[in-house]
Amino acid sequence: MSYWKGVWKRVRHHKLAVAGFAVFAMLVLASAIVPVISPHHVDDMDLESLFAPPSRSHPFGTDELGHDVFVRIMYGGRISLFVGVAAATSSALIGTAVGLVSGFAGGWVDSVLMRFTDMMLSVPTIPVLLIGAMFLGSGLANIIIILAAFGWMPTARLVRGVTLSLREQPFVEAARAAGASPVRILVRHMLPNLIPIVIVAATLGVSSAILAESALSYLGLGIQPPTPSWGNMLQRAMDYILGAAGEWGQPWWLTVFPGLFILLAVLSVNFMGDGLRDAIDPRLVLGSPHSAAASPTSDERDASAG
Amino acid sequence: MGAYVVRRVAGAIPLLILISAIVFTLIALAPGDPLLTMRMENPRAVSPEAIDRLRAHYHLDDPLPVRYLYWLKSVLEGDWGYSSTYKVPVRDLVISRVPNTLVLTVSAWLLGLIVALPIGIVSAAKKYSAFDYAATFAAFLALSMPPVWFGFLTIMLFGVKLKWLPIGGVADLATGTVGALLVDRLKHIILPMTVLGLVQVAYWVRYVRTSLLEVLGMDYIRTAKAKGLGERKVLLKHAMRNALIPVLTIAALDIPYFFGGAVVVETVFSWPGMGRLMYQAVIGSDYNLALCCLMLLAVLTIASNLAADVLYAVVDPRVSYS
Repeated sequence: MSYWKGVWKRVRHHKLAVAGFAVFAMLVLASAIVPVISPHHVDDMDLESLFAPPSRSHPFGTDELGHDVFVRIMYGGRISLFVGVAAATSSALIGTAVGLVSGFAGGWVDSVLMRFTDMMLSVPTIPVLLIGAMFLGSGLANIIIILAAFGWMPTARLVRGVTLSLREQPFVEAARAAGASPVRILVRHMLPNLIPIVIVAATLGVSSAILAESALSYLGLGIQPPTPSWGNMLQRAMDYILGAAGEWGQPWWLTVFPGLFILLAVLSVNFMGDGLRDAIDPRLVLGSPHSAAASPTSDERDASAG
Repeated sequence: MGAYVVRRVAGAIPLLILISAIVFTLIALAPGDPLLTMRMENPRAVSPEAIDRLRAHYHLDDPLPVRYLYWLKSVLEGDWGYSSTYKVPVRDLVISRVPNTLVLTVSAWLLGLIVALPIGIVSAAKKYSAFDYAATFAAFLALSMPPVWFGFLTIMLFGVKLKWLPIGGVADLATGTVGALLVDRLKHIILPMTVLGLVQVAYWVRYVRTSLLEVLGMDYIRTAKAKGLGERKVLLKHAMRNALIPVLTIAALDIPYFFGGAVVVETVFSWPGMGRLMYQAVIGSDYNLALCCLMLLAVLTIASNLAADVLYAVVDPRVSYS
């Protein structure tokens, strides 16, 4: 356990990572609690005050149906954060499996898998997500499946790189000499060493999944209203930015707040991931010159979903 | 060198055919039936017999590989079929949209490089300075910014509130002097170009910084400094030339991402380009149009990968062509 103690100590000294963790935890807590304790229900329509600007009773104002925007953002947070975490966890699992098999098996298995991974990586994300959504349709589970199906590649490359360098380590050789089976070597000796970098990749994956969900929902292919998500709240806001004559004085709160929460969530996750990456034993991650972690962009590539 | 390029281009052709088969199969298997939609939209004019005739005409009842070959043949003849949403030939539609997207993506790409290079260079040259920290933080902020939201904010601020810039479209003026037309178009492109370029600026700044720092640690840099060359000359002449190689490669490889980002940015800014067209094709189950858009995207992706490889071979003498 002393390894994790060291990591924890280094993370604690990374101020931005701690701040990121605190903000993210607060977002999770608030989205869990606020919809329960707020006097307004998500679907409550206050027909007396449509498009009401922020006030004491509606801190983020109300929308075109008199919904309380604050409660809807908190409720949407449940959806958006859940999609982000679920999609990132699934992509991390797929990516770890692919990378581990690729790096451990080597030979033609490795070439085929990595060729496929590179092909998937070179295709721009949004169009691929569009096609995925066209097939599966929208809805919570489908969005998670689509994001996971097209988000595992950076993890796979990272895990493969580290697996390759681990394979040559003396302790693996010792295990092999002691007669351990390949499965045992994989599960008992390599996997524990891969966990730190998978956690980092998964953390950064949460931020790209949240961004991708918001883009998909904005395009109308993600979470469907009336269920609020940060992305589809932005989509509805678009209709009201311009107003009748394109005059100012339009309900800015409908646009500003949902986006602000996406930014907060993604930024906090990115800081967390960055701190974790710095805290993890750098020798392990950067050990091999061929490891994908050595390149500054590859492990976050898919964050550019927009 | 010439032979290398020819070989790479020739190698891309089978890949393209493979991709076209995959994309065709995907679209053919996609849910929905355009002919049925046509009949539902206008049941009186479109009789069941007419539907049958159309099915036969488009070979829709043939097995998939046969349909693919028919499609490939007509595509090679330049016929991409009709768009079911726009009721015009897909080819004409796409040809009218491609220039808009090219203008938008190329200017966003250039803007990205022009902004990212100096910031990255200064960040690396003054490592751990206030500027470096500020640039790193700004890059984090840009990477975390949802492009849709950033687009909306610029529209609200510069378009609606200040009224400095138009909120969408490519141009307002239909006629006028060349100068006036140019200014009109420039005004329209500023916001979408900035939004599209922003995320990549953030990547590239970090990439330029890392790449330059790596080069600055090399022995020949120390030699150059020991010879008494000025800091500036070492940085810009000796270090930059080598640091730029991976940066240019990454920038070329990133071109397809601009076309991906264009889907969102063109939708936000009502920019009549390929990204928005692809989005409308998917939303409206316009399969001919979707196929054409995806094939264009595949060609562009392969082409930019190719360009990156060739560029790498050109700028780095250590890369052999054989």
